[in-house]
Amino acid sequence: MNDNPFVAGDLPPVTLDIDVLVGRYVDRPGPTGEPAVVAETLAANGVERAAVASLRAALFDVRSGNEEVAALTGPGVLPVGGLDLRDPLGAEREVVRLAERGFRAVRLFPDEQRVEPDFPSVRSVARAATEAGLVILTGGDVRRFWRPLRGATVVFLDTHFYHLGDFVVVARDEPGFHTSTRLLNSPDALETVAARVGVERLLYGSRAPFYEPIVPRLRLARAALGPSGVEAVTGGNARRILGLAG
Amino acid sequence: MIIDVHAHWGPWFFSMEVGSVATNLAVMDRYGIDLAVVSATEAVIYDVAAGNRALARVLESSDRLLGYLTINPRRLDDAERDLRELLPTGRFVGVKIHTDYTGSPPNSAQTRAALEMAAAHDLPALVHTWDTTPLDLAQAVADIPGVRAIAGHMGANGWRHAIEAANGVDRLWLEPCFSHTEAGRFAAVAAAVNPRRLLFGTDATLIDPAAAYGAVLAADLPPELAERVAWRNAAELFRLDLSSDTVPRVGG
Repeated sequence: MNDNPFVAGDLPPVTLDIDVLVGRYVDRPGPTGEPAVVAETLAANGVERAAVASLRAALFDVRSGNEEVAALTGPGVLPVGGLDLRDPLGAEREVVRLAERGFRAVRLFPDEQRVEPDFPSVRSVARAATEAGLVILTGGDVRRFWRPLRGATVVFLDTHFYHLGDFVVVARDEPGFHTSTRLLNSPDALETVAARVGVERLLYGSRAPFYEPIVPRLRLARAALGPSGVEAVTGGNARRILGLAG
Repeated sequence: MIIDVHAHWGPWFFSMEVGSVATNLAVMDRYGIDLAVVSATEAVIYDVAAGNRALARVLESSDRLLGYLTINPRRLDDAERDLRELLPTGRFVGVKIHTDYTGSPPNSAQTRAALEMAAAHDLPALVHTWDTTPLDLAQAVADIPGVRAIAGHMGANGWRHAIEAANGVDRLWLEPCFSHTEAGRFAAVAAAVNPRRLLFGTDATLIDPAAAYGAVLAADLPPELAERVAWRNAAELFRLDLSSDTVPRVGG
């Protein structure tokens, strides 16, 4: 008998993935992040719509990178503006421009840009984004980046289950704090967040095309969150904080 | 049939409640994992003698768990005593060596001595590897006659080194568990190494099996290879007798 023992017929559809990138990292092997290939990856993984940011914006040129994702607009793409924390003055200008262009979220890349949470740029850019009504999607260690982002509506994209307790205790005081489920892959992390601060704080994020989108889907499929909880995590919560219909 | 060759029983120091045997079994059931080879977290992290003995008692309670006897390379006298006293239970099928928690990298003299001990007892050794250390483990395997080792996490982010390690020496197996699930990682390894050297490991109950299981799913393995990864290679490595419904034990 040669049946494949690895099966998963219960993967939930994802109606809005909060963590997708196009473009490449020049300092590492891996996908080139061509938009068409990323779109194929998302389709193959049951992702109907994605909040997409540009590594060109994060690593090289903010404006042309953000125009790159703006040009991708279609039913499957929600463009997210990348900001460069190494240029806080330019980032403040870009926040205003993005808000005028109709963007609903900006993304911070502190690890890629080697920016520490106590750099003045983080606080100033967070303030500018909040004043403009933009949601902040951010990388970085939640144990340190919580401080300059207090008061904002934030999705921490890199919350690891090792740091789950720190997220929960700070999220109690910060109603705008949310987390991606990408690295909450311990046996009870999702359930702990749901029980302690509410399932509405959890958002599915894949980090496609650099991470396996199936892993957080599979974890959600087997999570004790109930069907409505899973629907919220796989898109409903993201739509709520981004002010999207449905 | 799925065998998890990298699992733990016991509590962790993070914000998680996963220390009971019931959690082990529930997490296995989430993913259809039939059998898990576990080490005691207490033995890995703090007190090797107490942890190994607590695990011996746990193993009496479940047919679905087999044991790694943890060796702290800095406590080889304890290891000799634990092997002597606990192997006769028939429920320990390998040894676990955590190179980070014990401050004993794979190329250290004490870890090499621990591997020699495992070889002397003809037990596979699950060794924690990270970054480039699969290459150091491969060198130790090449140098120590008869030792059979599993590169735990297959080097984690250093999986490309694990490929080189597995292809450079016989008697080295790879298992994929890692909380960071880089796209294409397991598929690339599966395409590059001897299919008889691939195992399935999850790091449960620290990590949910979704991470490793999803990585294997994403690799879209042909059925024969998937079966090898799922259990055949593990059954051969641990010499498990799975022919009946009785408690799995080390076979002939």
